[in-house]
Amino acid sequence: MSRKVTVGLLLVPGLALLVFGFLYPFITTLFAPPTIEDTSVLGRLGELVGDSFVLTVAARTIRVAVVVTVVCLVFGFPVAYLISRVPARWRGLLLAMSIFPLLLSNVVRTYSWLVILGRNGLISQALVALGLADEPVQLLYTELALVIGLAQLFMPMMIVTSYSSLSQVDFRLEEAARGLGASAGRAFRRVVLPLALPGVLVGATLVFAGSVTAFTTPMLLGGTQNRTLATLLYEYANVKLDWAAASAVALIMTVIVLVVSAVTTRLSGKAKVV
Amino acid sequence: MRRRPVLWGLAALALLFLLGPILLMVPVAFSSGDTIEFPPPGLSTRWFEQALDYQPFLDALRTSLLVAGGATLLALLIGVPATLVIQRYRFPGRKAIETLFLSPVIVPELVLGFALFQQLMVTLRITALGALLIGHTVLLLPYAVRVTGASLAMSDPALEEAARGLGAGPVRAFFRITLPVMTPGIVAASVLSLLTSFNNVPLSLLLTGPGMSTLPVEMLRYVEFSFDPVVAAVSTLLLGITVVVALVTERLVGFNKVFSQ
Amino acid sequence: MTPVVQLKAVTREFAGTAAVREVDLTVTRGQFVALLGPSGCGKTTTLRMIAGYLQPTSGTILLEGRDATRLPPERRNIGMVFQSYALFPHMTVAKNVAFGLQMRKVPAAQIRTRVHEALDLVGLAHLADRRPQQLSGGQQQRVALARAIAARPAVLLLDEPLSNLDARLRVQMRQELLRIQRETGITAILVTHDQEEALELADSMVILDRGRVVQQGHPREVFRAPRTRFVAEFLGYENFLDLPGRGRITIRPEHVDVVEHDAAPPAGGESVTGTVAAVRFRGTDCVVTVDVGGQNVLATTTNDSLRAGSPVRLFLPLDRAISLTGTDSVPGDGGQGTPSLQHQQESPA
Repeated sequence: MSRKVTVGLLLVPGLALLVFGFLYPFITTLFAPPTIEDTSVLGRLGELVGDSFVLTVAARTIRVAVVVTVVCLVFGFPVAYLISRVPARWRGLLLAMSIFPLLLSNVVRTYSWLVILGRNGLISQALVALGLADEPVQLLYTELALVIGLAQLFMPMMIVTSYSSLSQVDFRLEEAARGLGASAGRAFRRVVLPLALPGVLVGATLVFAGSVTAFTTPMLLGGTQNRTLATLLYEYANVKLDWAAASAVALIMTVIVLVVSAVTTRLSGKAKVV
Repeated sequence: MRRRPVLWGLAALALLFLLGPILLMVPVAFSSGDTIEFPPPGLSTRWFEQALDYQPFLDALRTSLLVAGGATLLALLIGVPATLVIQRYRFPGRKAIETLFLSPVIVPELVLGFALFQQLMVTLRITALGALLIGHTVLLLPYAVRVTGASLAMSDPALEEAARGLGAGPVRAFFRITLPVMTPGIVAASVLSLLTSFNNVPLSLLLTGPGMSTLPVEMLRYVEFSFDPVVAAVSTLLLGITVVVALVTERLVGFNKVFSQ
Repeated sequence: MTPVVQLKAVTREFAGTAAVREVDLTVTRGQFVALLGPSGCGKTTTLRMIAGYLQPTSGTILLEGRDATRLPPERRNIGMVFQSYALFPHMTVAKNVAFGLQMRKVPAAQIRTRVHEALDLVGLAHLADRRPQQLSGGQQQRVALARAIAARPAVLLLDEPLSNLDARLRVQMRQELLRIQRETGITAILVTHDQEEALELADSMVILDRGRVVQQGHPREVFRAPRTRFVAEFLGYENFLDLPGRGRITIRPEHVDVVEHDAAPPAGGESVTGTVAAVRFRGTDCVVTVDVGGQNVLATTTNDSLRAGSPVRLFLPLDRAISLTGTDSVPGDGGQGTPSLQHQQESPA
């Protein structure tokens, strides 16, 4: 059997699946969905973009995703750095503890926040008990709840990607920089950070894209007041049955994710998000 | 080693933030009260009993297991041959093929779910179970290709050549040498795939039919109309199972190795 | 007697560039042949074609008299030792060695004795139950060798087998390799870029340059009479001089006599004058670099009064000077600019 035939046979099942179960439905839905009324996606997209409600939702989605990304960076990166520089026996445990939440469903992970952020939740009780609030505080169904829930969801990703790129940075480089007269902070900024940056960018992109497309968390913690593109898409598709609108929202969401991935892939050089 | 109080402080905060809420669910699940609250007014196991008696959850659990197992198997059967080609052959367009096989990860899952719902279920009249299997296999394919590919990339390409030189034909060389060398990668990919599929919400959300829905989606639906601790009880059970899976994975191939990819 | 391996006008191209051109090679039973040359000369490509991992673009490969040009590796009855050893990580040492015997359907009882024999031959019978990862580099090398010869292949192919060992172990393993080849009488083809290794091990040396055989013969012959500057340089010759009436010659520094610049030229040789450019003191003697009309010539001398700038005369005894009769240019080739090709450019599974 010739090499070409072998290669072909081995790839055919995968290619068939990707065409039938991914490319064909995906492209058809985004650009030419079968619609109930006779509206085209691009036409509906035009209407939606002209609609301030959709713009508000898109802006909220992006705003929340940016804040979540920053929060994950601020906490996740130092934790990753610590993990990469502690003795091996600590490293495994800290890494495992950071990763473990990824093994659980987002429903499970988000559910707890209902207990913590609700009107009778932990935080509300604490604030009242401390005299910081006169009456129970409702933190659920706010943008803050969204940020908290999503940050908890995606921080492990930030830690893991940062860690894997930080662990590639030889700690002796830092020692060399210190030996050449750099302070600890300077050695970190001038040597470690530039080397770890591509991995951190990849992590930030994953967090951002995950936050833009997350469904469970905005569904549970955002409520009807704080819709995001994902919950809006679900509503058009499943409740209002306006499939052209759902496709248009899907298109907006996909474009945001692809553009951000493309930009960071460019910025980070070789490191690829995919 | 220098002490790093600020870093350790941040790490403690981050881990509390990550793990605290998950652990908090356990006492809530054992509550005797009628709504989710902490601290619980008293302890009981009635919500666990109720959860295990709730037929939609049991049906959904069966679907979830079927879909996770089936999609993992399919993704490996389809992904391993592709990985073999991507890792061991050089031909024009190889990079493009690799990118194509990894590309489902960048597409929003909710969008893919919506697309499959429209094109496969509505237009082509494929059943919800069929659409779920196809969708989840597409979702898992990048993991299968990447994780088994990593184990293959680390092994010496001369291994297969050595087997051929010693008299093994291509098929025998694959089963006697390549497959065993890839086994840790296949185990890792399986664990990762099973969990990813089992936990998925956005992709499964719209791919439902009469009596056909996955467990996380059913849990989400339940929370939408009821605030009683049944879902906390299910979550606690899932947490327990996940801990067991994590420990077994650690024994088999190393927990961090599998889940840090 | 039928040659064990015979290559007839074998050519292999990668993307239109020939890595091996028109190579003819004959290896007889019991011979130890070394394919020698710098990286990119086509030696590994040639070996991989003999093993069946690559197909020639044109030409014929005969193994034990039968046309094997299109046979897959598993049907060629070869034993190959890889540069990386390629030991199966999921099998013990004994299982690794048994693999080739199992593939050839040797009865189990016989496999056991032959595995033991092979491991005994390389002195590793006591490590039969270890995993490859638990062995040192030298031990892994021996296992690879035992695995390759256990099934008594027609020819043993060695692809830079010693290059991953440290210098001391390398020299030691050469002796081992030679002993094992002598004891088993196996036909062997060795690919190496280390001329010392080839000189010491082989009874026939084939020097390749840009895909062509430039010289072959017994190592002693080749070493004493390199035909071209390329071969001479590769074997460590450093002095190259164009002498009027004699053409291009090479001579070892220790055979060049450094004499006073005004001394009369002795009979039986040529002499040239020049200026000392540099002196390196080595203890018992000095190596002087002499600028002869723009060309540097190295000579060893015990005269330690020479300084840079001293005018000297060099005496080149004719019985020591080697005439380089061949030219290095490859017909139909662009010259030095040929890109170096490595077999990794195409790697079939």
